[in-house]
Amino acid sequence: MTAPLLEVENLNVWFDLEGGGELHAVQGVDFSLEPGERMGLVGESGCGKTTTALAIMGLLPPSASVAGRVLIDGEDILAGGEAAMRPHRWVDIAIVFQGAMNALNPVRTIGQQIVESLEIHDRGKGAAARARTGELLESVGIPAARASRYPHELSGGMRQRAAIAMALSCSPRVLIADEPTTALDVMVQAQILELLDGLCNDFGLALVLVTHDLPVVAQLCNHCSVMYAGEIVERGPLDVLYHAPGHPYTRMLFAASPDLGMGDAPVLSIPGAPPRLDRPIDGCPFRPRCDSSFAACVERPHLRGVGDDHAAACHLNEMVTA
Amino acid sequence: MRGTDYVLKRIAFAIVTIFVAVSLNFVLFRLAPGTAVTNLARVPHATPALRNALKKQFGLDKSKSEQYVIYLEQLVHGNLGVSFENEQPVSKNLRIAVINTLPMVTIGTLFSILIGTLTGVIAAWRRGTPTEAATVSSALGFYAMPTQWLGLMLIIAFAGVLPTGGMTNEFLLDPGFWQHLRDLASHILLPALTLGLTLYGEYTLIVRSAMLETLGEDYILTARAKGLRPWTIVRKHALRNAMLPITTLVALSLGYIVAGAILIEIVFSWPGVGRAVYLAVQERDYPMLQGAFLLLTISVVICNLIADLLYFKLDPRITE
Repeated sequence: MTAPLLEVENLNVWFDLEGGGELHAVQGVDFSLEPGERMGLVGESGCGKTTTALAIMGLLPPSASVAGRVLIDGEDILAGGEAAMRPHRWVDIAIVFQGAMNALNPVRTIGQQIVESLEIHDRGKGAAARARTGELLESVGIPAARASRYPHELSGGMRQRAAIAMALSCSPRVLIADEPTTALDVMVQAQILELLDGLCNDFGLALVLVTHDLPVVAQLCNHCSVMYAGEIVERGPLDVLYHAPGHPYTRMLFAASPDLGMGDAPVLSIPGAPPRLDRPIDGCPFRPRCDSSFAACVERPHLRGVGDDHAAACHLNEMVTA
Repeated sequence: MRGTDYVLKRIAFAIVTIFVAVSLNFVLFRLAPGTAVTNLARVPHATPALRNALKKQFGLDKSKSEQYVIYLEQLVHGNLGVSFENEQPVSKNLRIAVINTLPMVTIGTLFSILIGTLTGVIAAWRRGTPTEAATVSSALGFYAMPTQWLGLMLIIAFAGVLPTGGMTNEFLLDPGFWQHLRDLASHILLPALTLGLTLYGEYTLIVRSAMLETLGEDYILTARAKGLRPWTIVRKHALRNAMLPITTLVALSLGYIVAGAILIEIVFSWPGVGRAVYLAVQERDYPMLQGAFLLLTISVVICNLIADLLYFKLDPRITE
């Protein structure tokens, strides 16, 4: 069997805290992605989803220590450090950040910024690179003539399109989209999602969509991983997670999402706050907020299969199967 | 075209500033106690008649407003007046002083800008390492050092090796061009170094903080994600944005170049503008002071104008 396109193995991230101590932000995350596959990575703020995305690209600040492996076609791209990582960036994995306002350099035109990524990865120089930039911009719905515009001259939606065009410039195989539609209004959000959907189809891109917004995941992804307190607590096909969640957190997360066709059901919030990650967690991290915790929850549950292509980290599932 | 309005507004603003400064210059020195006459008439047996004759000669018997009108009138004709001190035209005195000052202060300032930018960028890029600590503490040290003290220490350290005063060796009779240049260069070294060292710390600190701010921006993360090399990121993305606040500072300090450096010029007996101003203050030499301050004002305002225009060129977001 050939290695999957992207494989993340036992990824752990710790941040050094000022004044001593460490924050265990990502705790043993595993997942793999085949070409063309789309996976949502959801969870509430601070659950480690963006940190996971940055760790995959080796972009965390020096205060972070990373353990685990990130494999592209079976090759560990984190092993060789920053310099070895560089040729993989943008060519194998590209990323679109939240709020494209600051993701683009304000004093350089969007054309210059796209040309630059083409040039450093030897995808064309000079006139050829500019022509390719025009094509890329057209492919995301921006007239090629806008290449000479500065980021502040474009609307928020246009900037996000430009950021996507830039991410696609070196024809990456995996695209990580970190909250790509946050801070955009609903109409523009829908356009960007439609655009991403089309581009993933056209280019056979594998997509990791990092978001807290379940409806966004539902529009783009077939698979979803739910993160809580730095670890993946459930993963599986989106409709399975929706109809038959294997973890109370997933169930409550869907219930907290208003526009997923819940009918007249009230929107529910999840009381309490996630546990602090700068100290060891006893038992199930969700236990204090869970509505169905029981005796077994003092033991920390691990992700295990609960169905076809479906895994969850909850002791309730063992009770059902036992 | 973008910015015609902006440029015109800036230029008009500069002209108004110069006019206001000219008027302030006039008032300022006349507010100071004592006049040129007080000094000159301090000879034994000075009679009130001598005093009045001097007053009349310098035009100090006229009312302040009359003096002001005469001053403005002559200024428009390019006449800066005659020095009370040596009875030479102020413009001639100033020209000599500026020619003496410019090479020394320019070398010192350029040195400080170059070294300061370099160490500032290094300190920001190597944040949290001993390199940063060393760079920042030495910058702070030099920044905090009194100029004249540093000058004296350099004199103590290099006396005998390098000339410690004046601009040229007076005993070098009829030197050839290269000989003269070498002589001048050896005299320039210590004062320029003193100036460079006292100024560079400020640049280091400002460049470092501007760089740290830009290095934390999202577009730097984007640049890294694109696979750019660290030095390319600094050059093409961080420095370009960090240059915005730095440009203003550099342009402003270039404006002060013509003012010379009073303390340094005195410590090293450098016959430049700074020393001329110092002597003119002692002698209440109004025309000389007014001339020197006018020169300083115009050069600061022009450099400010250049900074504004450069800023406009560097930052595409400025439209007004």
